[in-house]
Amino acid sequence: MTSGRMELVCPAGTPATLRAAVQAGADAVYCGFRDETNARNFPGLNFSGEELAEGVRFARDHGSKVLVAINTFARVNDVALWKKAADTAAECGANAIIAADIAVLDHVAKNHKQIRLHLSVQAAAATPEAIGFHANSFGVRRVVLPRVLSIQEIAALNRAIDVETEAFVFGGLCVMIEGRCYLSSYATGKSPNLNGVCSPPEMVSYDEETNGTAARLSGFTIDRYEPGEPVGYPTLCKGKFKAGGKTSYLFEDPVSLNAGGMLAGLKAAGVTALKIEGRQRGKGYVTEVVRAFRKAVDAVEQGGDAIEIDRILAGQSEGARQTTGAYKKKWR
Amino acid sequence: MGTGSTGPRLPAVVRHLIPTIAGLPLGPLLTLSLRSLAGRQPRLFERLGEHRSACYFIDPIDLAFAFTVIPDGERSVVRVVRKSETATSSVVIRGPLLTLLSLLDGTLDGDALFFSRVISISGRTEAVLALRNTVEDAELRPADLLGLRGALAGLVDTGILGALGVVRQMADLNSRSKAPEA
Repeated sequence: MTSGRMELVCPAGTPATLRAAVQAGADAVYCGFRDETNARNFPGLNFSGEELAEGVRFARDHGSKVLVAINTFARVNDVALWKKAADTAAECGANAIIAADIAVLDHVAKNHKQIRLHLSVQAAAATPEAIGFHANSFGVRRVVLPRVLSIQEIAALNRAIDVETEAFVFGGLCVMIEGRCYLSSYATGKSPNLNGVCSPPEMVSYDEETNGTAARLSGFTIDRYEPGEPVGYPTLCKGKFKAGGKTSYLFEDPVSLNAGGMLAGLKAAGVTALKIEGRQRGKGYVTEVVRAFRKAVDAVEQGGDAIEIDRILAGQSEGARQTTGAYKKKWR
Repeated sequence: MGTGSTGPRLPAVVRHLIPTIAGLPLGPLLTLSLRSLAGRQPRLFERLGEHRSACYFIDPIDLAFAFTVIPDGERSVVRVVRKSETATSSVVIRGPLLTLLSLLDGTLDGDALFFSRVISISGRTEAVLALRNTVEDAELRPADLLGLRGALAGLVDTGILGALGVVRQMADLNSRSKAPEA
């Protein structure tokens, strides 16, 4: 599907961050409720119904939209919590619901026809057939693309479908086929796809030992750090393990996605919206990243060249190790 | 997790004032302030969920004493304690006072400070995360803690934040003058 001006979709873990993202130039902000119906179910994060209603009003007053993620998978015989979340989002006047579970999609399609449905990355829909099924069955208007596709594949996909596509451009990277990760549930009994938590913090510990700090998840050592070395949050897919006599980041290097240099390519591939990851990040971080991407997207829309875009986003590539992910085919 | 703290330390001139402050009934005053805040903004404490009953041991490493905080809304309790009194705490947070204050007013990012070890944290990670997200959303100003409103609140915020800014600049200059040449 061809697109006009690309939309910048930004994360908000709290009402303060929502306001910060909107003021920094987000076209749309995505957020979730304070329960297991969304994939960032961490302590102190997320919105009550009242906070969401206020957030929607604030965003609308500033010309932005609010998209509500209800994107975990409901438990067997217990879909009521997910339906209630969808009902609340609709009552609050949210512009769209981002969902993956067929039960949630079906509930919204039947009961809240006024609200747009976006297919979450958790649904891992990466073929015209899968996307077409969701569009035809539930009226899905946009699909958030799994982070396993190259730009060429996205372009081909967009030629074959007639719904909008949204692509991640910045932030944390999931290496697994999204919506189907069992690593966290193996170690902790809690799953990102069912409970909304990857590496639940109540099972995280940082233990001081003679040779430095060990970061552990549910007793499993995920990584070790020398004294004074910066530490990371222990997630299994980005852990350092020994296999075949060699110690390495077995599944994935602890790098973040930065596709800032590929915005023009994504536009040419027909992408409608660009998504920044990071609902667990603070408002300072969100403000800085959104502001930079706002300028970069505007520059792309005005035909700015790659050098200008790189200059605008230069500050975002300092510090953490980054990758262009699957957008350049070699990453796989 | 141990701190390799590189944050700005209190300038000597400010440190000399601390014994005077320590003589004040800081615990009861801060308890009163927190309970009063909970009365005015109960939603702020709801964000902590079950962790509002956790005991947070907050240790400004450039002070001779520490605090324990139980942020339980209108039942909140703040105590001034010895640095060794960590046994009953759910969480221990250590760092330079100016850095800890910067977390409170949102000047600095808690994640970045933790991962770079400017502040150190041990104990229940989920309680730390709940507190971090709550403080992040609260956008507290000094006047909020003092229960002030209107023009007076604006004046107090300007005065206290201005003074803090000066102390931070002094601390930065101090740490730069001690840094080895590159």
